[in-house]
Amino acid sequence: MRILSGIKIAVIAKIILVSLALAILGLLMQSAFMNGDVQIGSFLAVAMVLIALIYFTKISIPMKFFLPGLLLLITFVVVPVVYTVSMAAYQYKTGNKLSKPEALAMLQKSDAFAQVPTEPRYDLKLGWCDGKYGDAKPVAGPICALVTDYTTDKYFLATADKFTVVPKNLVTFSKLGLPNGVTQTGAQPAWEEFYPDEYATYDKLLNATRFKYDKPGMFMKAEGYSVMAVYAARITYDSKADAFTDIKTGAIYKDNGKGNYANTKNAKDVMTPGWRAVVWFDNFVALFTDPSISQPLISVFIWTLVFATTTVITQFALGLLIAIVLQKKIKARWLYRSIIILPYAMPSIMSILIWGGMLNTDFGAVNNLISLIAGHKIHLNWLTDPTLARSAVLLVNLWLGFPYFYLISSGALQAIPAELTEAASIDGASGGQTFRRITLPLLMQMLTPLLISSFAFNFNNFNLIFLLTGGGPRDVLGGASAGATDILISYTYNIAFSKGTENFGLASAISILIFVVVAAISLYGIRRSKVLETFA
Amino acid sequence: MFSMKKAAGVSAAVALVLTGAFSVAPADARSKAPAKTLTIWADGQRAPNLIKAIGTLSEQTAGDYVPGYKVDVKGYASFDALKTAIDAATPANGPDIVMGANDWVPALAKDGKLAQFTLSTSAAKNFTANQLGDLSYGGKLYGVPLDINNVAMLTNDDLVQTVPTSFGAMVDYYKANKVSQGLTRGLCVAGGGMSWGAAGVLEALGGAPYAMSGGKAKTTGAPFTVATFANNVKSLLLNSDGTPNGFFTDSDASCKDDFIAGKVPFAIIGNWEWKDYVAEGFDMGMLSAVPGVKAGTFGAGFGSVSGAMLTSFAAQAGDDNAAKSFLNDFFGSAAGAASYEKYEGRPPANKGAAGIASPGLKGFGIAASKASIPQLGTFLNGGAKDTTGLVLGTKAKPGTKGANVPAYWDALPALWTALVSSDSTLRKDPTVASQLFANIMAANAANSVNN
Repeated sequence: MRILSGIKIAVIAKIILVSLALAILGLLMQSAFMNGDVQIGSFLAVAMVLIALIYFTKISIPMKFFLPGLLLLITFVVVPVVYTVSMAAYQYKTGNKLSKPEALAMLQKSDAFAQVPTEPRYDLKLGWCDGKYGDAKPVAGPICALVTDYTTDKYFLATADKFTVVPKNLVTFSKLGLPNGVTQTGAQPAWEEFYPDEYATYDKLLNATRFKYDKPGMFMKAEGYSVMAVYAARITYDSKADAFTDIKTGAIYKDNGKGNYANTKNAKDVMTPGWRAVVWFDNFVALFTDPSISQPLISVFIWTLVFATTTVITQFALGLLIAIVLQKKIKARWLYRSIIILPYAMPSIMSILIWGGMLNTDFGAVNNLISLIAGHKIHLNWLTDPTLARSAVLLVNLWLGFPYFYLISSGALQAIPAELTEAASIDGASGGQTFRRITLPLLMQMLTPLLISSFAFNFNNFNLIFLLTGGGPRDVLGGASAGATDILISYTYNIAFSKGTENFGLASAISILIFVVVAAISLYGIRRSKVLETFA
Repeated sequence: MFSMKKAAGVSAAVALVLTGAFSVAPADARSKAPAKTLTIWADGQRAPNLIKAIGTLSEQTAGDYVPGYKVDVKGYASFDALKTAIDAATPANGPDIVMGANDWVPALAKDGKLAQFTLSTSAAKNFTANQLGDLSYGGKLYGVPLDINNVAMLTNDDLVQTVPTSFGAMVDYYKANKVSQGLTRGLCVAGGGMSWGAAGVLEALGGAPYAMSGGKAKTTGAPFTVATFANNVKSLLLNSDGTPNGFFTDSDASCKDDFIAGKVPFAIIGNWEWKDYVAEGFDMGMLSAVPGVKAGTFGAGFGSVSGAMLTSFAAQAGDDNAAKSFLNDFFGSAAGAASYEKYEGRPPANKGAAGIASPGLKGFGIAASKASIPQLGTFLNGGAKDTTGLVLGTKAKPGTKGANVPAYWDALPALWTALVSSDSTLRKDPTVASQLFANIMAANAANSVNN
């Protein structure tokens, strides 16, 4: 007897798979909510509901096929695009990465008071006073610090409210001579050290405690479990005015609307950390008005267009040429085809790095070969001369990309009916005329979408530029902030991740600019070639 | 056949069970003060060495290093991976302490990822003011110095038997032996690159990234005398016709290989790689600072430190004082630093732990003691703007107003290219190039107060 029919097996398999997916998503959702990532957690919750709804009901059969792709599309395409667009409207850079409440809390904690350099740093033992110790340990209570000034051999007990000088004869010491207790006599409170586990338990309370000090305007704060430092207020915060005042100088720091509290009399004097502030179109405006960005941007944009266009034309031309040549029956054609595909088969990162070594001015194989042919030593600065570096970038990209065009051109050539070329030949057309009037137009109709996608890919060909030239050469001493071979995406990377500073807001704005340019050019190309009509 | 309702019910149950199985149950709030964990992030080299020194989490007993705590060390595959992780860290997942480079301090402090830290009086005695300055930003200290990163010049004892006393003596040797010994260069940078590693060469020739006064970098004025530096470059690195004499080039490519092969008499090497040279039979007694133009003077290289830094996440996790205690009591103490550096093998910043240094490391220590400058990220990382057009240009031909002034890390390699490139089209007049470099560093120094 069959225990399970085929349908039952399928249902059980579905239950297991969907359950696993829901379990994993549930785990991720739980962890997202625990980390405070409410948006991610909510998205995962909605995804779980949708999955359960679609796969356990008959609400929509097509959605059973579309849902995984749809969720992945939203996760990996829509969300990053929306995030990039929204980040472009923010002041989001080094020093401006927190939310305003986080930054404010940090400023109030770290800048509100400063150590008093003229006061000594004391040794510290943590414990409890007034009998709040021993076997009946308090759940919570005032932490009592036994403070030692070894320079003067003086001892104090301090809580948040009380500062008591302890005569030395009431202090008990360990065998190592370290204070380990205070004897209770009259008004003198007793003191007993923390049990070991209490350090960990009361760390947060200790961090929040300001111990009383015997000088006006000052207090003590634990710096670990063995150091006590003296602090005084440095700035005050007025929550109504949302402003800080420097007690010493009187300078007022107000929200400058760009993610920092800035000195009202010196805009450059800002408090850090700042926060991610909405600056709307400031980053886009900076692209065109800040000379340090706009000037290189124009030249980089032009080179990016030249690079992408030249790359596509040269790769296509060489690939097609080889495809035409190898269409003819020649000896060892399989060998040629295999060799030609090799650059495509090798990881491009390896190829680029090897080319980088081969193009080295002093030790590179390319210069050595040219020297051999010329009969004397030739030093061509392939990677340090602007013109040669651009040539090198195009050359290496040609090497990397022509096999792809060879492959697709070969396929496309075979798809063109032989009758057409034969008819042209019978009509008296030459080989060149047949190619120009029949083969090429048909090829272009088939390959235009691929040419456009290749253009878009090369417009953002970060790997090649980053690994081969690093965007250089760059006239650093002349103040050039972009290199001769920098394309928009590598220039954006430098802005976003250059040494010491990061500017994600500006980089997002440039990314959107790149998207608009690539989309516009692609759309224009598609309309001109009427490719979409063939798919209609 | 299963109904869809049943299927949904079964699925929900299975999902709940699986989710529960993967979840971490919340700790029992009534349990008696279990040991807390202090978390340290380090790169793939430091993390295993620190674990060797303090033991794994399971080997430790709570309170071994900090009362009530065990110390968990999390290693990242590489230094860059660690930097990426700390940049992305949040209070929910960030560490209490991170072991990293001193030039991380300005950006991490600005981003609110680091918290101010105070060394105990006894621990403070173990470090120099420069070392503490390396881990400070805006007048606040953020960590404990771990070990010294510096370079020193190694004289190739296969070629030269005594350590040279002046820059000129090295150039003379190179010129005299270039052909007969098949030398590819006289002096090259094998460790640290053409900006960080080559700082000693810049200083030896009379240049500087910033002027120092009383142990502090000056924020005003020129960093060095341009005419002196340019003249030294002309007389020592260039031929009479202005072409480079080949003694020092703008590239560090194949320096190490050439040095080991006996084709370079003097190389600047890093203290993280000296064992490679010992393995090749080189004598670490030939280490020195780069000799200056005047006999007996030396070019100061960067003597920066790596640090164990306190994060702001520690306070948010309720571990702030525990983290401070560990920094003071372990890394700040001679015994703690020595126990770590025994495995790490770098020269300890902690004076009390310096006794563990090997002969190789002692050579670097001697070089650093002859001439060393602090590595100040706020001066070196750039960020200034050329508001007048005169930083990157001249009155006759001003630069773009508002242009970004490059960082030292980009400017010094560019200076070498302008001075000693083999390609004449990339070379600039030594005085012009030196003046531009001086302008850049002066602008960055003036801007350092805003960094």
